Amino acid sequence: MEALMEAVVIKDLCCTYDGFVAIDRVNMIVNKGEFVAIMGPNGGGKTTLLRAIAGMIKPQRGYVKVKGEIGYMPQKEHVNFEIPIKVREVVEMGIMSKKKKFSLFSKLSREEKELVNNALKAVDMLKFVERNFTELSGGQQQRVLLARAIATKPDILLLDEPFNGVDLPTQEKIIKLLDNLASEGVSVITVVHNVSPLIHHVSRIALLNRELIAYGKPEEVLTPENTAKTYGIPIPTTVCKEGYIHPLFGDIHG
Amino acid sequence: MGEVMIPFLLRAIVAIFIISINAAITGTFTVFRNVSFLVAGTAHAALAGAALALILESLGFHVPVLLGGVLFAIFAAISAGYASGRGKVGRREDTNTAIAISFALSMSLAVLFISMVREYAARVWGLLIGDLFLLSYSDLAIMFITTLLVIAITALFYRAFLYLSFDAEAAIASGVKVGLYDYLLLSTIALSVVAIMGGVGAILVFAMFVAPAAIAKRFAKSISRVFLLSFLISFSSGIAGIALSFYLPFSPGAMAAVMVSSTYFVSVFVKK
Ligand SMILES: Nc1ncnc2c1ncn2[C@@H]1O[C@H](COP(=O)(O)OP(=O)(O)OP(=O)(O)O)[C@@H](O)[C@H]1O
Ligand SMILES: [Mg+2]
Repeated sequence: MEALMEAVVIKDLCCTYDGFVAIDRVNMIVNKGEFVAIMGPNGGGKTTLLRAIAGMIKPQRGYVKVKGEIGYMPQKEHVNFEIPIKVREVVEMGIMSKKKKFSLFSKLSREEKELVNNALKAVDMLKFVERNFTELSGGQQQRVLLARAIATKPDILLLDEPFNGVDLPTQEKIIKLLDNLASEGVSVITVVHNVSPLIHHVSRIALLNRELIAYGKPEEVLTPENTAKTYGIPIPTTVCKEGYIHPLFGDIHG
Repeated sequence: MGEVMIPFLLRAIVAIFIISINAAITGTFTVFRNVSFLVAGTAHAALAGAALALILESLGFHVPVLLGGVLFAIFAAISAGYASGRGKVGRREDTNTAIAISFALSMSLAVLFISMVREYAARVWGLLIGDLFLLSYSDLAIMFITTLLVIAITALFYRAFLYLSFDAEAAIASGVKVGLYDYLLLSTIALSVVAIMGGVGAILVFAMFVAPAAIAKRFAKSISRVFLLSFLISFSSGIAGIALSFYLPFSPGAMAAVMVSSTYFVSVFVKK
């Protein structure tokens, strides 16, 4: 086995918004090519952790060290649906903002156009390239936003709830895509509320509720004690016939 | 219509053309960035600035009235942008509330300053109402140069303005200095507003900027179409306003503004 390379190192991280502590004492290492899921309740600081990794917010204490380029797919709530922007233009945004090419006259090079097309192909949205982003279904929009994040060929891919509103077959496809990226050496870190569809693919799970409750292999992390600490109530689990542990999320609402 | 009217008419048409370019560019970004109210806010700040320039003049300091207007408008735009904090990560900003407050402040200052310069007040009221037929060649030249500047800035930073309006969170993550470009965008909107105020006045600038882009956005399938359609709507209403003003005793700017605003409501009914 080749030596593990650390892609993200988080040490004693504390992040605040105007004095309000959103996450505290987070220690975490994500290796190159790892596929990590972050789980936790609403307001638990998952988005904040991704923002800190992406360098969008400065730590109040501690540090984040990152090795490589980052691709970030924010929660869809941040998008402004009042702009009749084309799918192609959305994906171009990833490339052009990284390159700081903002002028109306700066066109994409042939290679950059290729990157846009390949990213859209990967999420199976190439046929929508000239369509209006705002007129797509919610799941299709998620796929386009994912394409924007992977278009720049990042070494570290940060995804904030990428499966919201995505149908099950598409979800399967996206998971496979992420799995492939991870096996090519991309570190994939994704926030999810329902980890079950991912459980066969992720190497580690982080449970976050202001502090990092647990971080490790799914079967080590998803214990009743840990989920109770994270969500306030223990989440029952079951073991599937392949031997993976699955949380039974439906039950917490029942 | 006599021969004497022709230069006035030509100047008015050129002014409508320039105004429509501003309405297309700035109006579109105003609607995309969701800061429609900024147009009214900066226009009234410009009024206050112009009045202050007149006060300073009466005290013996010469400050060009337009410069006073531009500085105040940009100051109002930047403080509204600062209060809204778009450059801050994840800020669910309500820029319009910040604008409303700065609008209220500039209105009060405008009234205050104008009351101090009663004898020159007519010049300030000119900016409030505007008149397409009273524009001189030098007014047009100033409008034209300012518009070139507005075109240059938006062309140069087009994608930055688009990205920060579309998805500021992703733009920040990609290393775009969103706060900085947001100030630039808001200042450009302010500049554009002041540029056309002489033609249609502070009151109507709002209708001429916001309504065409708002209508265009409802129908256009692409961003470039929003620009084009806003221009056409603004230009045709302006021309129609001028034409009607020959038959009816109304100001052409007001006619144009009535037309674009009512077109907006018609478009709402047509396309629910
Ligand atoms: N821009 C901000 N300004 C102030 N407080 C914020 C900001 N963003 C998040 N917070 C606060 O920080 C805490 C963590 O928020 P965060 O968005 O990281 O949670 P989350 O785990 O992503 O939640 P969700 O599942 O709802 O997306 C919350 O209490 C939230 O109110
Ligand atoms: Mg979140």
